[in-house]
Amino acid sequence: MTAEIQSAVENAKPLAPPPTKARTNWQKVFGLQEMGVYYALALLIGTLTVITAYVGQDNYFSIQNMSNVVYQTSLIGMMAVAMTVVLITGNFDLSVASVAAFSAVVLVANAAALGFWPAAALALGAAMLLGLLNGAIVQFIGINAFIVTLGTMTGVRGLILLYTDGRSVSVTAPEATDVMKAFEGGRLDAFWFILLVGVALLLYGLYAGLRGRRAGEPLRPATLGFLVGGAFLLLIAWASNGELMVRNPVIYMAIFTALTWFILRFTKVGRRLYAVGGNPEAARLSGINVTKYRLMAFVFCSLTAGFAGILFAARLRSMNPAGLQGAELTVIAAAILGGTSLFGGAGSVIKTLAGALLLYSLTNGFNILNLGANWQGLIEGCVVVAAAAIYTIGDKKSKSKTGG
Amino acid sequence: MSLAQAGVARNHGMRTLMQEVQPLMQLRGVRKTFDNGTVALRGVDLMIAPGQVHGLLGANGAGKSTLIKILSGAYSATKGEILWKGKPVRWTSPKAANDMGLATVHQHIPLVPTLSILENIFLDDNGLWRRSTLQRQKFEDLCQRLGYRLYADTLVSDLSIGERQMVAIFQALATGADLIVLDEPTASLALDERDLVYDAVRRLSKVEGKAVLFVSHFLDEVMALTDQVTVLRDGVVVMTAETHNLNEGLIAEAIVGKQIAALEHAPRHRTAKREGDLVPRLRLRNLASPGRLHPVDLDLAPGEVVGLAGLLGSGRSELLHAIYRADPQATGEVLLDGKSFGRSTGAAVAAGIGLVPEDRNRQGIIPDFEIWRNITLPALDGVAGFGGILSAKQEYERGWQAIRMLSIKASSPEILVSDLSGGNAQKVTIGRWFFSDIKLFLLDEPTAGIDIGAKADILRLVRQLATEGKSVIIVSSELEELLAVSDRILVMRDGKCIAERSADATSEHELLLLAGGNHATEPANRPEHQFDLNGEAVK
Repeated sequence: MTAEIQSAVENAKPLAPPPTKARTNWQKVFGLQEMGVYYALALLIGTLTVITAYVGQDNYFSIQNMSNVVYQTSLIGMMAVAMTVVLITGNFDLSVASVAAFSAVVLVANAAALGFWPAAALALGAAMLLGLLNGAIVQFIGINAFIVTLGTMTGVRGLILLYTDGRSVSVTAPEATDVMKAFEGGRLDAFWFILLVGVALLLYGLYAGLRGRRAGEPLRPATLGFLVGGAFLLLIAWASNGELMVRNPVIYMAIFTALTWFILRFTKVGRRLYAVGGNPEAARLSGINVTKYRLMAFVFCSLTAGFAGILFAARLRSMNPAGLQGAELTVIAAAILGGTSLFGGAGSVIKTLAGALLLYSLTNGFNILNLGANWQGLIEGCVVVAAAAIYTIGDKKSKSKTGG
Repeated sequence: MSLAQAGVARNHGMRTLMQEVQPLMQLRGVRKTFDNGTVALRGVDLMIAPGQVHGLLGANGAGKSTLIKILSGAYSATKGEILWKGKPVRWTSPKAANDMGLATVHQHIPLVPTLSILENIFLDDNGLWRRSTLQRQKFEDLCQRLGYRLYADTLVSDLSIGERQMVAIFQALATGADLIVLDEPTASLALDERDLVYDAVRRLSKVEGKAVLFVSHFLDEVMALTDQVTVLRDGVVVMTAETHNLNEGLIAEAIVGKQIAALEHAPRHRTAKREGDLVPRLRLRNLASPGRLHPVDLDLAPGEVVGLAGLLGSGRSELLHAIYRADPQATGEVLLDGKSFGRSTGAAVAAGIGLVPEDRNRQGIIPDFEIWRNITLPALDGVAGFGGILSAKQEYERGWQAIRMLSIKASSPEILVSDLSGGNAQKVTIGRWFFSDIKLFLLDEPTAGIDIGAKADILRLVRQLATEGKSVIIVSSELEELLAVSDRILVMRDGKCIAERSADATSEHELLLLAGGNHATEPANRPEHQFDLNGEAVK
């Protein structure tokens, strides 16, 4: 018996040497879970283009209309990007729209007396304080963020009513309105910029791809992303016939999103934000100040909301106390469409932006096709739930595939 | 009439005879290949007979978990067949396996903490009412059968881990299973709680005639409890034998292969304590935490390994957390190399302390992060350039280094840690601290729930750290391990440090008595200052 065991022990196969080259799982990279929101956006735009062409309306997929959609998205898009950061840290902020509206009211009410820029600074300061309040209550008292921000959402809306006495406020002083118009309504020709960025992305993608090939590494998804992104920008530049007027909010949104993306993707701060959401206790025991990072995320979110509020006020140059009501749900819907996890630790601001664009393409499509606003809520709701379903199912699948 | 009776009798006799020949469950050439190409099982044969306890052993990643998941219906086998009572079966869900008569008690016990014991046990009972007398009767019955009494209306959240384990076993029995799979039922239990489980297993198999598949890392309990043993290595069965023909050494060899087993038993060279050092590496003065930890004083020399013995909840982890500044309520002084540092985990890490926490999954790893992102997390400064921008190249390199240094079984640093087996994930949580200037390692149960091969690796690593002049405080429930690796051992009980022993001058037996609250060897009311661990009087 023992001899048998001995020989069995000796004859056991030696461990296979692990493969040294990592292979990219393309099936996963292009799966619905990772790319779903881009597919959905492309599908929607494609469908709308075909339908508008069929019923004989103006081309939906024109630079004119597309830049219009992007402009409509810009405010919600920025807030959704900031919301993604809060969600990544494992928190939740329902108060964004109220904070944005508060900031707008502060700006409008003070712009005539103080001038635009000081009033804007005041509005941003107020928004930041509200973010600090949210974060401090959540982090130091330890109440669930959903409840706290549900409270501040209602409370701040009440504050707005108190501040305005329930009436609309507006700016009439020409000095202030001129600055507002310039700040919000200005346009820039972005043709050369887009062309340059597109070429730069393509070149970098080619460089990284060739270097990887020479080193014998497989193609990385990020490299492909650079190539596709560059090609896409060049396509836009080509389609625009040399002139691409972009309104200021779109530029703000682009810069803001790019910066946030860079910080999340490439810096220590970004890594720690993901870690804090992915497993707060493990992050704390790795020496990360979880409270600080979560607080920072709240302040960041409210500051962004404040900025969006300023743009909103500058666009209308007046503010209704009920303005932006319900926008927080669109913001969160955009983040969910972009695949951000409500449990923290996962999310991408680029995908969130695609999610916001998806929602506004829907709205825009409904308007163009004259389908009536009545259908809109139903369709949007279905889209959000369907997206969440795809992410959840995909998540389960990928878990059971890899095994324990 | 008589003829018919005779026929029945013969049939009956036949059946018992058949049962001896025919196992309850039989696997033939079961293979499992995952979609990503990983081959987990390469043709496994296994035979489980009623009334027998069958031990299943294997290193982490040997295929145990996969096999259990196939048995319990969570996975389906790629090839091979499963015979249940002689008939080939193919169940596709845990429910199907359960209906057939197979119940699995998983390592991490899935109970509903907010429901009572009774409600948990009859969770999948389809009756209308939450409580019924029938359930109570059944529960009473189960208590009788297992010889273990639980109060049916206690909330599960109020139970100890050992009691929860028993509830899970009750749950499995309540489904009327013939084969019960116990996946490492004792891994997180204290010593006295383990006996409960052993008793239950013995009763189930010997009195009730149930078959039990017992998965464990503890060789002594496998020797004591099982009738047969099957050892898996790298997806194949390397040994199947009757337990009475075996000893622990043979099993260990089968699990890890010859060389590692030999290494583990090799004598360790202990570095001499450096008495001459003026400034201790770590100095604790009156370190305490209200309700958790009584004041502790301790001096630790560079290159010294101190073991902390004690039962679960005796204050071992609490002491480590207080040193690491992870306990905001902690009071008292912590000096590292004579210097004080701020009251946060970040300050502790910056000062040069690294903690490997007790609960790997909850406190150690970020499951959504790959190996490389987990490895670099506590020491991001080392891979960051201007403006905190991280260098992906350096980060990968660190991932590779950790994989090579700790022989982590992973094909690349881009594998998610949640896809690694327990021992390999544990190596990642330890490896995180090797890329910055860590002078003091706090290891909380670094070998819990991992196989002997990885255990030996980790213990060897601890001694190596010590020879490099790092200091280590290690907590373990395995006294043998503590004795093997430590220079001295502190025993904790009820949040107090109650004794200090040199590792050469004590034994498992003595430590067990001290930790378990046996007052014969250690008078309970000795004044506090006598426990000063440096032999100095405390003012």
